[in-house]
Amino acid sequence: MRRTQSSVTKFTNCLLIRGNELVEEDLWISSVSGKILNGQEILYGERVAPDRIVDLGGRILSPGLIDVQLNGAYGFDFSVIPEDGAVGYSKGVHRVNRQLIATGVTSYLPTLTSQPPEVYQQALPFLGPSGTHRNPTYGSESLGAHCEGPFLNPSKNGIHNTTVLQTASHGLPDLTACYGHSNLASMTKVTLAPELPGGLEAVKALTGLGIIVSVGHSEASYEEAREAVKAGAKMITHLFNAMEQLHHRNPGIFGLLGATSSSLASKPYFGIIADGIHLHPTSIKIAWNAHPEGLILVTDAMALAGMPDGTYDWTNGSRIIKSGSQLTLEENGRIAGSAAQLVDCLSNFLNWTHASVPEALKAVTETPAKMLGLEGVKGSLNEGADADLVVLDLQETGVGEEKKFIVEQVWKFGSKVFDREIEMAGDEN
Amino acid sequence: MVRISSTFVIIGTRWRFHCLTKTTGSLTRCRRLIIRDDPQLASKYIADYIIERIKAFNPTSEKPFVLGLPTGSSPVLVYQNLVQRHKAGEISFRDVVTFNMDEYVGIPREHPESYHSFMYKHFFSHVDVKPANINILNGNAPDLELECHEYEEKIKAVGGIELFLGGIGPDGHIAFNEPGSSLKSRTRVKTLAYDTIIANSRFFGNDLAQVPRMALTVGVQTVLDAREVVIIITGAHKALALQKCIESGVNHMWTLSSLQLHPHPMIVVDEDATLELQVKTVKYFKSIEMVATNNGFRQKLPRKRDSLVEEQSPLAPGPQTNGLSLAVPQQDVSRSASPILEAMSTRISSGATKVPDNLESIGEPHLQPMSARVASF
Repeated sequence: MRRTQSSVTKFTNCLLIRGNELVEEDLWISSVSGKILNGQEILYGERVAPDRIVDLGGRILSPGLIDVQLNGAYGFDFSVIPEDGAVGYSKGVHRVNRQLIATGVTSYLPTLTSQPPEVYQQALPFLGPSGTHRNPTYGSESLGAHCEGPFLNPSKNGIHNTTVLQTASHGLPDLTACYGHSNLASMTKVTLAPELPGGLEAVKALTGLGIIVSVGHSEASYEEAREAVKAGAKMITHLFNAMEQLHHRNPGIFGLLGATSSSLASKPYFGIIADGIHLHPTSIKIAWNAHPEGLILVTDAMALAGMPDGTYDWTNGSRIIKSGSQLTLEENGRIAGSAAQLVDCLSNFLNWTHASVPEALKAVTETPAKMLGLEGVKGSLNEGADADLVVLDLQETGVGEEKKFIVEQVWKFGSKVFDREIEMAGDEN
Repeated sequence: MVRISSTFVIIGTRWRFHCLTKTTGSLTRCRRLIIRDDPQLASKYIADYIIERIKAFNPTSEKPFVLGLPTGSSPVLVYQNLVQRHKAGEISFRDVVTFNMDEYVGIPREHPESYHSFMYKHFFSHVDVKPANINILNGNAPDLELECHEYEEKIKAVGGIELFLGGIGPDGHIAFNEPGSSLKSRTRVKTLAYDTIIANSRFFGNDLAQVPRMALTVGVQTVLDAREVVIIITGAHKALALQKCIESGVNHMWTLSSLQLHPHPMIVVDEDATLELQVKTVKYFKSIEMVATNNGFRQKLPRKRDSLVEEQSPLAPGPQTNGLSLAVPQQDVSRSASPILEAMSTRISSGATKVPDNLESIGEPHLQPMSARVASF
């Protein structure tokens, strides 16, 4: 293969995540293949020196962050079809992608809350995995849609409008009728309540189609949830929120984290919203202690993230009040998603659990990639993985021993797409 | 060319040094044993020395500095020092061509225990050696003999190795030239001794079956052909080897002892490695270094070594390569590895108070070898 100029970049003077350690090591990437290279093979085999050497000044070089539950951002809601229809929707998705990447999130699952079928059928064609495009200028990359609903338990609807909730009592035909048969290829994950009529059949049908099932907005008992996992469900959507709470005689969905290997072959992954509002830090610590390999940090962020405070129209005639980073539904005061950035959730997680830096980063890189079946492709620094990278600085906040991750640079498919230094210099001009 | 073979003789089991003689042009053309307190200081000494040599050589892409390199635990610290100095911007390896000593046969290049991996991890990934300038024997070559033959040819083609850095095993072997190797050996396929296979099994999950049985290695003579050989030996477990190689005679059961036949070797050791040496051997070498240092004379390669620098230097006329003739008062010595060897004559002619810049920059006292002053009389 012939290489064009400046296609091979070597990062040096940086800390890489290798297993549970931060190691001083160089990393080689290609902007042509967009992948991580084996520096040793390039040196000895292809006899190529890096075209560019990037000195990271001792900072952390991590795989790009992955958010498997993002409802919208920068004023755009994936669940709302704008007035100009497909054109406006497509533009909105692209705008989110380009802005989102500056936060260090290099790939994500655009997430739809419970909606009537026509919304899914209009929105899903734009949310599928971007797959072969591999264009760094497009910004953050969709790994496929996450449909959070509408097959949810009305008693655990959270802020989802109960009028659009459904049951899939006929199994797959109900699912395709809702999402649209041709849209199944765009879908990567579905959150559903397995205790509903046809719930387990839906789990099996979706799993059979290669779509990941996550249990959520559900009042499933421990036993019901365990059956769902046995039927193929791989994850729990925002653990603790919108489900039965842990009771010592009925541990509920949370109980799956304590399942023994004889009662459950493998414990499910679980999403955690570490925004400081949805969950108490101690609850997060307990969940992490129970099943550290399963913890995936998600933002569950809303379109209102980054918008000024006030009352905003939401879907299906509801309205949301934004006050700082807190979002509540006007009619009942329930928490309505978050306005947090994933990197802030990461800092919170580090401070609250005293996890090591590699352990914390796993919860937004390697673990979600594994859950998505993308191990070694995303969330990894190994040879052959996509060169989606984030350069992080870990700063002292001055408050006790608290620390804070700062996104310094973001690289997508081997090209730099964000540099904080340049952005800040631009602001001053 | 001033030959120095007459100035040192191996008598019995001792090396003799007659450096300050009337007839040699070189104070330093003698065996050097440098003793430092610990492995860190010994490694730093070598790294400093290599850097100084490369700088003095002033390599270009047409005339690169050819460096022989080892693997092993002792050299790791040397590499660390070199990498550190490179990162500090003090040395570039852009015009350095490297030849490694050896490589296992039959393990993949990416195997963590391959010497390719070792060199990548400890040196090549951190410095600016051009990939095309890196030479390591290919243990997976279809024709291993041809690979070895071509390796020797490649060394010849670049004009020979300027400085070969090496380490030794506890049995005194250099590269994979284990006890009993011919001291005239060249690059070749070598079957590993059973002891070596057992010793190496710790790197292969203690599974003897995983340990390579063969290796490609430069020969003893390949090392001796280098213009200069620098060996690092650290640790008490290598004390016997050091003793055999220095205090005993040349013996193929301790292949490093062949260094006694090399015109310009240097062995750098830590205190632990001297445990088996006679006290007077240690004192002798320490005194040599002390006297030399007190006289502002670090034990360096003389300018008139048979190096590429000199051979190609238009400023080095044949019979006057010692550069000491009063008839050539303004001789440029700026490319010398040992600037202090500049002829007294240059200073006399340019005035006693005028000191050439290059001397200032090195920051060493300006001492001339006795021979420099007597040679022309």
